[in-house]
This record gives sequence, structure tokens and C-alpha cells, in this order.
Amino acid sequence: MVEIRVDKVTKIFKAKKKEVVALKDIDLTVDSGKSFGIVGPSGAGKTTLMRIIAGLDVPNKGEIYFGDQLVSKDGKLIISPEKRNIGMVFQNWALYPNMTAYDNIAFPLISHHLNKETIEKRVKDVATTLGVENVLTHYPREMSGGQQQRVSLARALVKNPSILILDEPFSNLDAAMRDSARALVKKIQDELKITTLIVSHDPADIFSIASQAGVLLDGKFVQIDSPLRIYNQPKSLGVAKLVGDIITLSGNMEVEGNKRFVRIANLEFLIPNSSEHVEKITFGFRPEDVKISVKDDLTDYTNAGKVIVKVSSYSGGAFRIIVSPAESEKVEIFAFSDVPYEINQSLFFYYKQDKLKIFPQ
Amino acid sequence: MKRGVNPLTKVIITQIVLIFLMMVWLIPAYTMIINGFKSNSEILSSKALVPPISFSTYAFQQAWAGLEQPILNSLSVILPVAIISTVFGSMAAYYFDILSNSFSKRNKFFSDFAFTIVALATFIPYQATLMPLTRFMVSINGLGTYWGLIFAYLIFYLPTGALLMSIFISVVPARLTEAARIDGASDLRIFFRVVLPSVLPGFIATLIFIFIMSWNVFFIPLVLVTNPSMSLVSVSVESYTGGFGTLYNETFAAAVLASMVPLILFMFLGRYFIRGLMALGSGGKGV
Repeated sequence: MVEIRVDKVTKIFKAKKKEVVALKDIDLTVDSGKSFGIVGPSGAGKTTLMRIIAGLDVPNKGEIYFGDQLVSKDGKLIISPEKRNIGMVFQNWALYPNMTAYDNIAFPLISHHLNKETIEKRVKDVATTLGVENVLTHYPREMSGGQQQRVSLARALVKNPSILILDEPFSNLDAAMRDSARALVKKIQDELKITTLIVSHDPADIFSIASQAGVLLDGKFVQIDSPLRIYNQPKSLGVAKLVGDIITLSGNMEVEGNKRFVRIANLEFLIPNSSEHVEKITFGFRPEDVKISVKDDLTDYTNAGKVIVKVSSYSGGAFRIIVSPAESEKVEIFAFSDVPYEINQSLFFYYKQDKLKIFPQ
Repeated sequence: MKRGVNPLTKVIITQIVLIFLMMVWLIPAYTMIINGFKSNSEILSSKALVPPISFSTYAFQQAWAGLEQPILNSLSVILPVAIISTVFGSMAAYYFDILSNSFSKRNKFFSDFAFTIVALATFIPYQATLMPLTRFMVSINGLGTYWGLIFAYLIFYLPTGALLMSIFISVVPARLTEAARIDGASDLRIFFRVVLPSVLPGFIATLIFIFIMSWNVFFIPLVLVTNPSMSLVSVSVESYTGGFGTLYNETFAAAVLASMVPLILFMFLGRYFIRGLMALGSGGKGV
């Protein structure tokens, strides 16, 4: 297993005199045996960074190290991809369509000139671990998406790689299969302790697999932290939106004695005293940190005031309710509820004060 | 409500048009075959499109006796030419593909430059280069030899193979070759195990195309073959129309026999040819 170190990497694409900066001065260290997730919207540079680490592309400036070994530097490949001992699962799995699952998995071993018995044993072992031993004689077109994904993972793992790279590996699976695929990758990563890099636009992939994650926005890491801290303490509104649903509000900060609060129509939100005093403030909550209720008191929650139900819809196991403060129709806030509410019903809006997130303007 | 055309009428009209086009298409082949079965006196007295009254295989027997050796000669030249042009052309096309996807600007420039030369080489009419080609063949002692003839054909058809195959190879998904590279495969292994199987219909289409094109070439064997026993089909067929008189039935029979080989090839591999062309049209990967 090996540590990955990215040192001041910049990547610029040139197309018809136009320059697109895909990565700006990126620094990153992934400790040996750990799994690191890169999350970001399309076009943020995730795939570019992953391709540079794999050796499929080169940085214009900067260096990449695997352990102490320099592998890429300033527009040059020092170590070619085939010598980097990387296992990679591509977005569409990139199985060779003209080969059976067995030949696909055996391909890296044959390339490394191993003898036939060793190849057969290793292919069978990894196929059994990943549960694809029954489809070894099948061609990719004869396999389901889940099986193709597992065969692709088997092909990546069969050569005992020191680094495993997963590029949006679950995006082509249906929701149920995605969960089991995530669990499988997590289990294998825990067992084999391969330094793993997973790139995804879906934060759920990162949360389920990575022990550390980085949020890439416009070619820069905005935040590198544990996935849970990124979710609970996002550095910016952009990061917060990227890793989950967020209810955002903004208003003027007011001070009364040692109490700081923001008033939005009739709703009042208490702001922690530790926060910096600014006039205009944007803050937010994760949907699970707010509640709407007919009751006028809820333990662990702070009552912000009365709201009126505007829209009530059912989605994904909960009712999504859009409410407005009782005194202003202009402001709309969404919240999830276990029970449905009637339009124009009057409710109380509750929030967890310690979970309030303040975003810099 | 607007009344549409009856579907049955539509089908009938389409079929009639198609049958008509097919007939126009088949008239030369039909004329060639039926007139081969006529005697020379009947061919002079009857209309070309009328079938023979007395059915005779004499012309075919005569033509076969004259063409047997040229057909074998042609096969022993054209088969290696088609195979070598397509295989090495594909390799060259893959090489251009690697270069144009390389990180180095110099490689990209070289790829563009070399590719332009290949394209130019394809479009130069070979008749224009016959004199220098003959001089060149004489200087390397290739005149009147099989290897010299094959070499001369290759000069013209290797670039054609590279050009055609580069169209097919450029649509092979990059992730497949990248996956193979990460799996530690050499360029040669990537080419034979990953790239070539993905473009097989395109490969066969190119093979058939080059085979038929070079089978029909007239000037190269006319100039470079000095020994009559080495004569190729395209030249031998021409000898049936003599200066003092023409045996029309034998000429037709000879034309049928000469086009038999490409026809048989097309019958067996034609579906790949069509699939290759379809892959080109749809920009697909040709699998």
C-alpha cells in the first residue's frame, strides 16, 4: 500500500485559444491504506485529478508522488500508468466486449506474464470474493449491470494493486444495487487496506466508502475533512449544497443585550454568540435539524414562530412541506414531516440551535 | 381528417421502385452471364438482353483455360496485398491514434503531418506515378517479380488501409485502451486483443475494399509484369478484345470468371462490409 501525494498541481486545457483551468494549485495527501473521496459538481476537475493520478493525463505544473517515488512532474510522465500498479474501475466499467468475464479478469495477469495455474487460481479467488464465479464464461453483454460492475472491480483487484481508483463506479446501477455495491467496496477496502480514491458526484458514495473527503469546486479543494464534518460543518454554502439538502435563510443580525438573532418576518432565529458580528447574515439547517409541528413546545428544539403551510407533497418516504412565516408570504422554507398537513394550516417552526450553520457572505 | 395513403399501396409502390432499381443494377451482370452461354454466331445475331437459344458452355471452358493461371497469379498477389495493407494499415492507424492522444505537442504535430501525407498518398492517382515507379522497380530488381508487384501494390494500398482504418479506430472508446494500459498491456497486445476486435467489421470492410480495388487495377500489372505467364486477371481479360476481331462470348465468359473471386469474397464477408459501413455512418464503434 502506498501514500499518494499531490503537490501544487495545475492543469490547464487549451481549446481554440481559450484556456480552461481545470485544477488550480492542488495539494492533497492520501495516507497509505486509507480511502479518500473526491466530491464535486460536473466540470469541477474531479475526473481530471483522478486521471492525472492514474497517469492517463499529466499536470501542466506540479508533482505527483506515490510514497517517495515521483510519478509525474511538470507535463511529463515519470512513471507510465502500466507501471504504477493501479487498479481502476471506470465509470462505464470499460469491460472488454470481446472477452468473457474470466478473460477480462485475467487480462492484467496475462499482461504481467504470470503462469497459467497462478492466473486461474487468482481469477477464481477474486471472482468468489466478489460473487461473480457463476458468470465467468459470460460476455459483458450477457451480464447485468451489477455483475459487470463486480467483474470490473475484480479486474482492478486481481493484480493486488497498491492504489484503487474508482471513477463514479455506481452511477450506472439502480438504487438498490448501488447500496450493496457500496457495502461490497467498503468491505473490500477495509479488508485489503488498499489506498483508495473514489470520485463521485453523489455524496452518498463518498459517505459510505471514504474515511476522508475533499470537496472540489472550480478546480480547488474548498474543504478537506472527514465526510461527516463536511456534512455538519460545511465551509461554504456551495459545499453545504453539494453534500446534501440545505435550508438557507438570510437576514440582518440584530443584538439585544448579549442575545444575537435574525428576524425573518415573524420568525426569530438565535445566532450563537461565538459567531462574528456582521450586519447581513446567511445561515442554514439540514432538513433533519428542523421540524414543523402543531405543538407549541418540542424538547431539544427551539421555536422560531408561527408558519403557514403553502404546499404539501410526498416524496421518498416523507412529506415535503413548504411553509411561509405567518406574516410574510414572500419567504418560503421547506421542511420534512412524518405526517401530512393541510394547506393554510398554522404550525410552529422548530430548529436545533446547535446545528445552525453560518455561511460567509 | 386528412386521408393518408393506404399502407398496402405504399408497400406496393416501394416494392416496384426497388425492383426496378434492382433490375437496372443487375442488367450488366445478367448480360455478362447470358451472353457467355451463347455461341459466337448467336451473339452476333441476337439481342444482348435475350437469353441464349442453344445453351453452350464452350465459351466458359475456353475462357477458364485462358484465365486459370492469371486468376491464381492474381490471388497470390492480391491476397497478400489486401491482408498486409489492412493489418499494417490498422497498426499505422492505431499508432496515429496514440500519437494524436499523446501529451506531447510534438507527437500531435507529427501525427497530423504524417496523416496528411498518408491521405495525400491515397488520393494520388497511381497512373501518374507509373514512370517513377517503374524506374524504382528496375533499380531494386523488382520488375517482373511477384514480390516487386506486391511491393508496388502496397505503396498505393497501405496508405488506403491506414486512412480507412483510422476512421474506424478513432471511434474505439478511449476508456477501453486506457483500461488496457492500466492493466499493464503492451501496445501490441492492446492493438490485437482490444482495438482490433472492437473494429472487426471495419477491418473486414477495409479488407474487402482493398481486395476489390487492387483486383481491378490494370496499369500496375500491365507495366510491371514482363513475363506473360505471370500475367494478372485484369490484364488477361483485356487481351480478349483483340485488334483483329473479338470473340464476344468468350469475352463475356472471361469477365464473369474474373469477377467471380471478389464476388465470392463479398458473398461470405459482405455482411461485415455492410456492418462496417453502417458503423462509419452512425459514428458507432463498429461492433
